[in-house]
Amino acid sequence: MRPRLNSQGLITLAVLLAVAFLVLLPVLFLVEESLNTGDPMAFPPQQYGLANYLAMFEEDLQVIINTVVIAVVATVMAVLIGFTLAWILTRTNVPGRKKLERLMELPYYMTPLVGALAWAVLASPKSGFFNQIWRWLGGTGDLVNIYSMFGIAWIMALFEGTVAFVMIAAAMKSMDPALEESARVMGASKLRTALTVTLPLVMPGVLGATLFVFAEMLGSFAAALVIGIPARVYVITTAIWDSTLSYPPAYGRASAMGLTLFVVMFAMLTFYRWVVGRGSFATITGKAFRPRLMDMGRMAWLLFGVCALYVFLAVLLPIAALLLTSFQRFATALLGQAQYTLANYELALALGPVRTALANSLMLGLGVATTGVIVMALLVWVIYRSQLAGRGSIEYLVMFPQAVPRLVFGLALLWAWLNMPIPIYGTLWLLALAYFTVMLPLGVRTLAGVVLQIDKSLEECARVCGASWLYQLRTVTLPLLKPGVLAAWLLIFMACVRELGASVFLMGPNAKVIAPSIVSAFASSGIELTAAMALIQTFTVILALLILFRLTRGMTRELT
Amino acid sequence: MSAGATCIELRDLVIRYGEVAAVNGVSFEVARGEHVTLLGPSGCGKTTTLRAIAGLEQPVAGSIAIDGQVMYDAKTRRNVPTEQRGVSMVFQSYAVWPHMTVLGNVAYGLKVRKQGRAEIADKVERALDLVQMRHLADRPASKLSGGQQQRVALARAIAFSPTVVLFDEPLSNLDAKLRAEMRLELRELQRQLGITSVYVTHDQEEALAISDRVIVMNVGVIEQIGTPEEIYNQPRNRFVADFVGSANLIRGHVRESSAGPSTLQFVAEGGHVLEATAAHALRGNETEVAVRTAYIEIGKSNAVNQLPGTVRRRMFHGDFVQYVVDSPVGQMIVRHPPTNLVPEGEKVELSFSPEHCVLLEG
Repeated sequence: MRPRLNSQGLITLAVLLAVAFLVLLPVLFLVEESLNTGDPMAFPPQQYGLANYLAMFEEDLQVIINTVVIAVVATVMAVLIGFTLAWILTRTNVPGRKKLERLMELPYYMTPLVGALAWAVLASPKSGFFNQIWRWLGGTGDLVNIYSMFGIAWIMALFEGTVAFVMIAAAMKSMDPALEESARVMGASKLRTALTVTLPLVMPGVLGATLFVFAEMLGSFAAALVIGIPARVYVITTAIWDSTLSYPPAYGRASAMGLTLFVVMFAMLTFYRWVVGRGSFATITGKAFRPRLMDMGRMAWLLFGVCALYVFLAVLLPIAALLLTSFQRFATALLGQAQYTLANYELALALGPVRTALANSLMLGLGVATTGVIVMALLVWVIYRSQLAGRGSIEYLVMFPQAVPRLVFGLALLWAWLNMPIPIYGTLWLLALAYFTVMLPLGVRTLAGVVLQIDKSLEECARVCGASWLYQLRTVTLPLLKPGVLAAWLLIFMACVRELGASVFLMGPNAKVIAPSIVSAFASSGIELTAAMALIQTFTVILALLILFRLTRGMTRELT
Repeated sequence: MSAGATCIELRDLVIRYGEVAAVNGVSFEVARGEHVTLLGPSGCGKTTTLRAIAGLEQPVAGSIAIDGQVMYDAKTRRNVPTEQRGVSMVFQSYAVWPHMTVLGNVAYGLKVRKQGRAEIADKVERALDLVQMRHLADRPASKLSGGQQQRVALARAIAFSPTVVLFDEPLSNLDAKLRAEMRLELRELQRQLGITSVYVTHDQEEALAISDRVIVMNVGVIEQIGTPEEIYNQPRNRFVADFVGSANLIRGHVRESSAGPSTLQFVAEGGHVLEATAAHALRGNETEVAVRTAYIEIGKSNAVNQLPGTVRRRMFHGDFVQYVVDSPVGQMIVRHPPTNLVPEGEKVELSFSPEHCVLLEG
């Protein structure tokens, strides 16, 4: 017994150290750099101080105000969208409920970057499609201007609304309808029941979603980059990005801002977990109920329209706008004046940098997803199925990257690997390492979901039937895991192909990837070429998504 | 080995979950072909004991032998892995593999044993016939109802002709009607195949109905072992009398001089003297007798154990009527067939024979 325990201890220690190396070490480098008040490029720093933090509040106060205002406005809108959709889709007899619910996932897969580009096409002053049509109809000036604080918040809300929807809908679904019914039986009116029973029970879910979405908004980058920089509206993420572009790069300033953002987000997410954990008194029983659906009569079609409008604004309209743009020589919504061409796609696929960037992204996606799934499956087994001591701390470390904004993590990795003796900075290897680390929470959570779903007795029964451990693994465990492993692989693959936040800092001249290339095309060349590039990326992701849907449908069929 | 020889033997088994002893010194034997049930409330250690026989839980002390072979022994540190113990098991969750067909599930144990294709087909067919599932052999296991899954789990457990089959609350997820049917079928199957089985349940009715012997467990120890009739008629202590069937418990003390060969006199609180029997040697610390609610007569005169009373409540249950009767020894619950109903408020005479008035161990 003794030696086995020791080797298990060694395994745990090795896993802990490896994960800590990937996850914690970069953050430590960042802490040190944020206190560097001497030459920002010197490592280790020659002088320490709080100047970087103080400067942030003195010189960048407007940035902080912008960040908070945009995040608050966007959160309010996103939660309103999420709450409305969740209520419609879980509590009313809206037509096509099941299909609509599936469609609500689409904005999440669209990515905010593509959304922001599309809304730039739609609603930029003068050349935006809305304003073109407005003037064609005889209007003067601009009807809408996306290059504003509200514009940034609008795009964020549109694409984060689906996250709020998923979280609030889960809270609404897990409520026992008997709780409401008993209030009605006691003599309460519909309204009174809604106010005294439904609302208090759903409140923890709504509050949790609000906190979570707000934390995400603080750290979001894509919309602020695409819309904010031309509009000269800087938020903290774009300010971090901007200060690394100066000469010499103000890494100290960037680190101080990044760490502040990280600390605030970490606090919000901790608070979120506390709210969700504490608020679980009555609503969350782990059991999905079938709530009694309210009969809305003719109103149901109106509600259907609300859901359809959301999908239209977040998915259909943006994609249509990008498609139209990408096939034109000069983007116009007035079809009579359009000159159609395939030149943008030809150019996008012919340009050396774009081609290599796309190829690199696909290669990284394939490599990281494949090795990642294997390593993450091992981690999941260690965390959830083994009896190793210290598996709780491994779980905590693995989930840690979730609380670090991608951009800040990218910055931390940049600084850490600039100063490490292993020369992988500026190569695809560093990107692969970064992708693997930031995908840890996603991959582990997806795989754990599948592992925990598999009843232990399914494995035990194989053993009782006489199967050895290996035979059981081959005939029972792996076949049951297969759909989940494939789903995790595809999710990681998709996330890699569209990764932006960590990539902007880590790609080098010889290691370009697609999402940052799209952003720089938007800044330096025409919107038509950018649209073509964005669509090429989107359709790669959609292809993966279609396969995922097929597989997960098969999985739910098999497991229920 | 001859019929009646010991097939499973547990000695002083102890199983711990951290600091808590889930099973605390359990010993019993199961004869070849016998059907033994572990009965007790949830958390009494019955499932843990069963899983230890299968090798799915590791004990910290004691020994387990199957067919004379030591499967686990704390002293010699022998622990045969589950797959080499040759036992079979039906799980509470059925554990029917959703990624295989019915046939794939049932054939699994045979394939593991590398039997010939023809032989596998033959045995699977026979097993499916036994549970009347042959027509669904090619159906994916994920498309079965609860009752059908139960049958597949059963067929899978018996297909490879194991000598020992373990049942972990196999009927607890079925509805009452189906459960009663399956009970009968299980008993039939068990007799037909002559398998030795250990069965776990918290349902006392089920335990009494299908077992050769019942082992009543509570908080990790055995309270009583006996045939269903023994458990019902001569409960050893308060726990067994209370958990199995329904009984009236009357407090009092044994009259000193009364210890006769078969009957003794029990003085109830309030002074009423009852004729009682004891299944155990008197120790002098006994304070209770148990009288089964079904063994109390109303209105018949009896030489002994006659109690005057008044019917306080009458509840009609259909298959029986339950009366609550005020008597000199306290409130008595009486169950009767639903004939000759006695109205509430009526004065009645209760009586029961001394053999049904059982002295409980202190």
